[in-house]
Amino acid sequence: MSRVRPFLLLGALLLAWELAARSGWWNQLLFPSLVDIADELVRFATAAEGWHEAWVSLYRALAGFALAAAVGVGLGMLMGRSELVAALLDPLFSGTYAVPKLALFPIFIFVFGLGSLSKVALIFLECLYPIVIITYQGARGVNRVLIWSAQNMGASRARIFARVVIPATVPFIFAGFRVALPVAMIVVIITEMISSIDGLGYVVIYALASLKTDRMLAAVVVIALLGLLLDRGLVLLRSRLVYWDRLETYYV
Amino acid sequence: MLIARLGLLVAVLALWQLWSLAGLPEYILSPLEIARHFVAALGSRELYEHIGASLGRSLPGFAVGSALGIAFGLAAGMARWFDETFSPAVFMTYPVPKIVMLPLFMLWFGIGDLSKILIIALACFYPVFVNAYYGARSTPRILVWSAMNMGASRWRIFSRVVVPSALPLVFAGMRVSLALSFIVMFATEMINARSGLGYLIQIAENSLRFDLMYVSLVTIAILGYAGDHLLRAGRRRALAWQETHA
Repeated sequence: MSRVRPFLLLGALLLAWELAARSGWWNQLLFPSLVDIADELVRFATAAEGWHEAWVSLYRALAGFALAAAVGVGLGMLMGRSELVAALLDPLFSGTYAVPKLALFPIFIFVFGLGSLSKVALIFLECLYPIVIITYQGARGVNRVLIWSAQNMGASRARIFARVVIPATVPFIFAGFRVALPVAMIVVIITEMISSIDGLGYVVIYALASLKTDRMLAAVVVIALLGLLLDRGLVLLRSRLVYWDRLETYYV
Repeated sequence: MLIARLGLLVAVLALWQLWSLAGLPEYILSPLEIARHFVAALGSRELYEHIGASLGRSLPGFAVGSALGIAFGLAAGMARWFDETFSPAVFMTYPVPKIVMLPLFMLWFGIGDLSKILIIALACFYPVFVNAYYGARSTPRILVWSAMNMGASRWRIFSRVVVPSALPLVFAGMRVSLALSFIVMFATEMINARSGLGYLIQIAENSLRFDLMYVSLVTIAILGYAGDHLLRAGRRRALAWQETHA
């Protein structure tokens, strides 16, 4: 019972959906049957085109995320270990934190063009904030006693950094990644919905415009699965790399 | 601290202004030009109408999403049966970008404001739910036991012990949600709307009115910043006890 219980609510919702679709009270467009959606899903998965659209979205999201991860971890570490850098950059990040970076997208289109680059740049910017802020928090809060002990035992600065600061910060870095990765997915889908000629966000908008709601929902399912898989992958990676610090969350 | 903050801001703006002397592409305006256009727009009715339309979507969405998030999150954090049936569905759909539901919401609830408000509410629900949930769950047991020992009712334990100890995390969740509500509001307006700041930036882009583009950008930046500050001020008031005790 306890194994099926987590899926109870989702199952009930899907059942209610199918009943609504079959009841005939609503137009098929509003509640396409799960069978039709599954049909479209199979068509999507068997056509090279479908894989291509998914790959385009995934590529943009991961490219922006990877850039933000590299730059963000570096900046966050620097801010955490140097008061000067923190004094310079912290106001910049905390001051613009609440500003929706999406508003820059129209300008990014002019600067970087209509293709992938403007989207990757926006994803980079949106992902940068959580990664920098959470890494900074972690790097700043490294237990001083640990650093002192290492110094006492004659460890060099580089060694202290590699053996004390980084391991102590890694859980925070992953926490930042876990916030940023869904953000990357959100931004890639939004930007593709607003202005694009490919990618899953475009598939959703195009299917809606041609009133193919079953196809649209199939794309939604693909996006949902992709978001879920990326998160699972990250959790898996974290449990391999940060084996000494178990994640204390509900659903891992 | 304030001086460092202002100093950097002034330095960046000055560099930008200097750079504009060397010649910027036409889609990048200098800070002084942006300020001029913004002040000019402040004198027009049009900007206020767009602001009103945008806030009329984002604030109700934020309020509904946060209220439901707090209620369900606290309930799931306290009642085990509810946790076991409801939470898995939330955590499984958590990494899914909620904006993909917008087209479906448009079919269900029309292309007007209702579908936008609901999608904003949906997006805002998740961070608040998750934080309220962890907040309620991390209530120190000893406090709950003491309250029970002293004969407090279930409701009293909830309102006097669980809620106060969950409040800091609830605010953290609301802060994320507020930022999210502006992003989703902007996105929905850029995708499909007849008014609002996202719509303004979209028509500005299509008609190459770069001045309007920056006016919309500055307005949304100020709104996001002001909203965040208001929320933090509210947090300071609501959590005044935390400063003294913790």
